[in-house]
Amino acid sequence: MPLYESVMQEKPPIVLDIGNAYTKLGFAAEAYPRLIIPTELVLTTTGETKQLFDYVETDQLYDQLVDFLQTIFFKHLLVSPKERKFVLVENIFGQTVIRETLARALFMHFDVSSVLFVPSHLTALSTLAVNTGLVVDIGYSETTVMPVFSGVQIMSAFKDHSFGSRAVHAEIKRQLLATGVKEALLTEPVLEDIKIRTCFVTSLERAQAKEPHEPPPSVAYAICDDDAVIQIPGTLRESVYELLFEQSNERDSLPHLVLRAILDCNRDVRRALIESIFVIGGGSMVQGLLARLKSELQLLLASDKYYADRFHGELQFKFYHSIGKQNFTAWLGGALCGATDLIQSRSLSKEAYLRHEHVPDWSNLCDNRLNGN
Amino acid sequence: MSFMQPSPVKYACSCGILNPINKLFFCRHCPKLRCGFCVCHEIESHFCSNCLENIPSSEARHKKNCCANCFDCPCCQHTLSARATTVAVVRKTEEAKEGESGAPEAAPSPKPSAMPTTKKMYYLSCLSCRWTTRDVGIPDQGVATGTWPDNECLYQVRFNTLMEYYQTVVLQEKQEKQEFLRRKAPKPHKFPSLTDRTGLTVSLIRRQIGWTDKSLPKPKPVNITSAEATADVEALPADIFTQPINLRNITTIAQRHSQPADQPTAVSKLYPQRRSLWIKRSLRCRQCEHNLIKPEYHPTSIKYRIQLFASAHVPEVVMVRCEQPLQPGQSNAILLKFTNPTMYDMTISVLDAPPQEVQINADAFQQACRIKEEAVTSSPLLKSSGVTLARQNSTREVKREVKEKANATIVPLESEFVLNQRDDSKEFDEDVQAPIEEPKFIVWRKGNKVLLRLQFTPSPELQTGNEVTLAFCMQYTYVNTVTNTQDKKEPTTHALYSRIFIHAGDIVN
Repeated sequence: MPLYESVMQEKPPIVLDIGNAYTKLGFAAEAYPRLIIPTELVLTTTGETKQLFDYVETDQLYDQLVDFLQTIFFKHLLVSPKERKFVLVENIFGQTVIRETLARALFMHFDVSSVLFVPSHLTALSTLAVNTGLVVDIGYSETTVMPVFSGVQIMSAFKDHSFGSRAVHAEIKRQLLATGVKEALLTEPVLEDIKIRTCFVTSLERAQAKEPHEPPPSVAYAICDDDAVIQIPGTLRESVYELLFEQSNERDSLPHLVLRAILDCNRDVRRALIESIFVIGGGSMVQGLLARLKSELQLLLASDKYYADRFHGELQFKFYHSIGKQNFTAWLGGALCGATDLIQSRSLSKEAYLRHEHVPDWSNLCDNRLNGN
Repeated sequence: MSFMQPSPVKYACSCGILNPINKLFFCRHCPKLRCGFCVCHEIESHFCSNCLENIPSSEARHKKNCCANCFDCPCCQHTLSARATTVAVVRKTEEAKEGESGAPEAAPSPKPSAMPTTKKMYYLSCLSCRWTTRDVGIPDQGVATGTWPDNECLYQVRFNTLMEYYQTVVLQEKQEKQEFLRRKAPKPHKFPSLTDRTGLTVSLIRRQIGWTDKSLPKPKPVNITSAEATADVEALPADIFTQPINLRNITTIAQRHSQPADQPTAVSKLYPQRRSLWIKRSLRCRQCEHNLIKPEYHPTSIKYRIQLFASAHVPEVVMVRCEQPLQPGQSNAILLKFTNPTMYDMTISVLDAPPQEVQINADAFQQACRIKEEAVTSSPLLKSSGVTLARQNSTREVKREVKEKANATIVPLESEFVLNQRDDSKEFDEDVQAPIEEPKFIVWRKGNKVLLRLQFTPSPELQTGNEVTLAFCMQYTYVNTVTNTQDKKEPTTHALYSRIFIHAGDIVN
């Protein structure tokens, strides 16, 4: 029976998007991931939970990846990875060592038949059926801005900054500690829970008001593990996300990143980019973010001299709305990609990998020469 | 035996990873120790852990690895159970009908159907957090299982359109590329073609004969309405600054992620989630491709059809105690209990380095394996067909060195000793064993167990609080009842060895 099945039916490729905080996993040609799990693993030796990308040496990373993938295949997806095709959604500026180690784990340990790496920004746009857009990815450890025009990523205009969900968590922790909450209570899951259930991005008028407004109502938050109840002040609820919009001389807040990325592009594509901003990533699912970003951008265009000199004409920032939830938009792009024939033609096959034990990379000159190997 | 604490005695697996013996397997065909890392995991069968129903793999794939009947609570991920209620049913239409038909009759007798009947209705309820399907407005069902509606993905239609679009685009590109390649590099013919010289093309000739053009029909251009960017974005609700929020109505991140398609923020949008299946796993040796573990097919059975646990084949070493507190550079002794789990006597020797001839043997074995592999892959039939019919052998995993370093020197035992076979009936015998001449290091012996004393010296460089690790090689004879060759039927005896690492404890001051 298994032989018959494998011959008669093509097994759907597995699509993985291993993020810094959460991993999205599922099969190609499905409209949503099977599961979204934290990117962490339980060590078999000591039984403690550990972040996947928390490692000292490459061998350790390899072991952790093998353990993590093993859980994914045999606990969550319930398929054997052997002789299967894979789509991996990757950060285009991700570390080479992680990419190489992941490929080694898949090809050497799990014996997969091919792996297709797809860049997350580009593939996210495919869920809209457009080929031009300014993709803003607000993730856990960083926020990245990548302009894409006619299906080509404009690498020179790529911008990133370290504010992401991790920075927001740290800000919540800082503010709560200042109110006298015990540090032991504020674990990472608690901070995340506070963030997603109580916090929001406030409006531009309130953020820029000279005299403080009446803060939103405070919330009594019960920490279930410790039977403790802490007060979350209303000012915290509306102010933690301000770090994305903080004014500083570095000019590196989120609206500045967006505008600078647009300015780094050729002037012919700027208007198209302004009218097609696409915000993805789990960090962008907070209430009021898009509204705030839009009004900040419009304000900067009107008031900041630097931008006023460079942008001309009637400009209206326009935003795309993702078809699924923003936190798995990149995964969804991978699932679409895996459903097409690209999985046959563009994948890195096992034979090709074993020849050199190396993953071709756009930044590697060896792979980009015309007669390179 | 302490299951809860990590064992201080670890065996080096053939792949170089240390494991306690209860996590190791023993491949009888190789014959070597294997661990969970260096065996090939395979899925044996799918089953639901709640209703223990066996689900064939094709059905499991079709159902997205979910049980058809069991549901998980969206609130706390506990299993939901169906509760029955009785509802009074008023049968208006039937009564009306009966009234019409019953009118000509002289005395309409009260029929049982005219009585207020009751009907059983079911809803799902969580016994852990008391969430019910009524909380979110799912109507009760007449049948306990099978009729619960799935929450559908809102953008499924759009997704399907997108998928079709991209599939056509990619296919079109592929065709164009093929066409281009065909034109660019015409097939070199053995003989010069007439049409090449005369300038007649194939399509021209075909047209002259009156045939239709053979060229592929131009693929239809595909259209898709791309997404529209809008300037109006969702604004913050005005009451967010004034209305207090109720955390009980807002879902947590785990609840959102358990429903990945829509990830509701309001508790009222939670929906019972189909319970995901579990699997039974079989393990296969990567070297010789024999099964190490094969569970019984039925989900209710916890037995195995094939089980090659190391603890049933390899002598078990248990650390009993050290004779003196551990001091750097001071001679000490450790008491170890050896147990023979097999049905044959074992001869055991404790050495401080792996025996030379064994190493050579292992190399020779690998050499033999390689030759065999080459013979298989170089067979012309397989090459021509392009598929390897044999199961693909994945021995690519690099062997690693044992990382653990011993920091104590042991005094190897002066002679080997015999560990008697396991005999369950002997447990009940009166202890009438005649005292035999034992080597000096054996402290105590009963049945298949031996307690022995091993002298060692912790390294003088160790500081207070450092852990002392002993390492030795245990060489043992293993009687193999299965043989790879057909002509030999009687069991063969191998001299095997395993490296054992013992965490004896910390240096005391």
